Amino acid sequence: MKGVLIKDFYIAKSNIVVTVVSLIVLGFGLSFLLEISALLILAPVASTTAVFISITSDAASKWNKNVITMPVSRSQIIGEKFVFYILLAVLGIIIALVPCMVFAFLGMDITFYSLCLYGSIGISATLLAGGMSLPCAYLFDPEKSQIVFMMSFMASTGVIAGLILFINIWVPVKENILLAFNLVLIISVIWFFLSYKIAVKIYQKQDIT
Amino acid sequence: MKNALTISGLTKTYQDFILDHVSFAVPSGSIVGLIGENGAGKSTTINAALGLIQRDGGQVSILGKEEIDGDIKEQIGVVFDGSNYPEILSPRKLNRVMKNMYHLWEEQTYFQLLKRFSLPFDKQIKQFSKGMKMKLAISVAFSHQSNLLILDEATSGLDPIVRDDILDMLLEFVEKEERSVLVSSHITSDLEKIADYIVFLHKGKVVFSKPKDELIEQYGMIKCGAAQFGTFDQSDIVAYRKMEYEWQVLVSNREKMQKKYPKAMIVPVTMDEIMLLYVKGEKR
Repeated sequence: MKGVLIKDFYIAKSNIVVTVVSLIVLGFGLSFLLEISALLILAPVASTTAVFISITSDAASKWNKNVITMPVSRSQIIGEKFVFYILLAVLGIIIALVPCMVFAFLGMDITFYSLCLYGSIGISATLLAGGMSLPCAYLFDPEKSQIVFMMSFMASTGVIAGLILFINIWVPVKENILLAFNLVLIISVIWFFLSYKIAVKIYQKQDIT
Repeated sequence: MKNALTISGLTKTYQDFILDHVSFAVPSGSIVGLIGENGAGKSTTINAALGLIQRDGGQVSILGKEEIDGDIKEQIGVVFDGSNYPEILSPRKLNRVMKNMYHLWEEQTYFQLLKRFSLPFDKQIKQFSKGMKMKLAISVAFSHQSNLLILDEATSGLDPIVRDDILDMLLEFVEKEERSVLVSSHITSDLEKIADYIVFLHKGKVVFSKPKDELIEQYGMIKCGAAQFGTFDQSDIVAYRKMEYEWQVLVSNREKMQKKYPKAMIVPVTMDEIMLLYVKGEKR
């Protein structure tokens, strides 16, 4: 799996660099307008776009056909894309923390609570969107899967809103915001894992030509 | 003699094409050429054998195992038509990828082959010509101690010089007895040069699977007129074709036929002609 992961990092390298620079610039720019820790919502979502660049590249070069003949199983091929997605999301979080730490060092009021809250929302949105779009990348052709990818981010915000309203039935969200979003995060993690299992099942039976 | 690859009763059904109980073997230490017109089922056979497509029936055994696991894949080198590597990579970066893919990756062999083929180490694959991409794919296939090479139309679209280089490499490869090659191509002259056995596929079925020498040395073509054609024993004719000015008749034993029909003009036959007569001719 390591070889496939290295290949994806090579493909996504330039995109990752652009995302890193953009997020840092955006972070410093946003600090004058709103709370800097809100960048944690955007960062993991933005950084995971590189996965779809690698999926498109794989389709264009017919790499999928080639890699099946190498010593990696189909589930490892799928697993690698999910691992790559998580690694990029974590990278996005780390990058977003850079301006946060700089401004905290300069005396700006950045609380641990806000970091946890926005981080939780950002990771939830990323995992929900990835859970929707990654299996679709192996169901549809690359063009369609890119549309699904864009729509999945919009859908994930709707799902989060729905889950919050659902949680509000039992737990008053206004008094327990962090708890509610952590519950959403747990659901997102479970969804992402289930999505991986679904994607493996789809790919196991698929003809690769 | 052990078989490096055994395919028996391989079946795959598509809406408009059926791969129909294909059976043949690649004996260890040999080169087997898979021939047939475009759409005959060569790639489908290879894809099904490698597990790229689900098969509807039949068995495949590679290097003695029916399950194509990681250990078996380590020993198979596959080259498709086109390099099928991400175009953004350079051969040097591809080495780093492959080093982490194959346990038995031989970095030194890989770079030696790149040098032999005069391929630049740091140029992106997207800047390579088709011949260069093919050479790169072959370099990869030769650099992880493969015991079975499978080439699917790997030489098509290449100039004769590059093709000749690659064919020489395949001959060098099978100098070790445990190594074998399955090469599909519609350039039959290439296979005439290197193959030990020829498997001929037509409309998803194996028409014949024979040693190449038997085909080249024993098969023949009778060129005759309609009157002479009428004198031939039906059982002696493998296939025949009526041309504008003559009849072309494929026979499976030139010498025997020459004795039986001393007045007939029987000439040696090329693989192309055999293929043409089978595909375009009629059978008795």
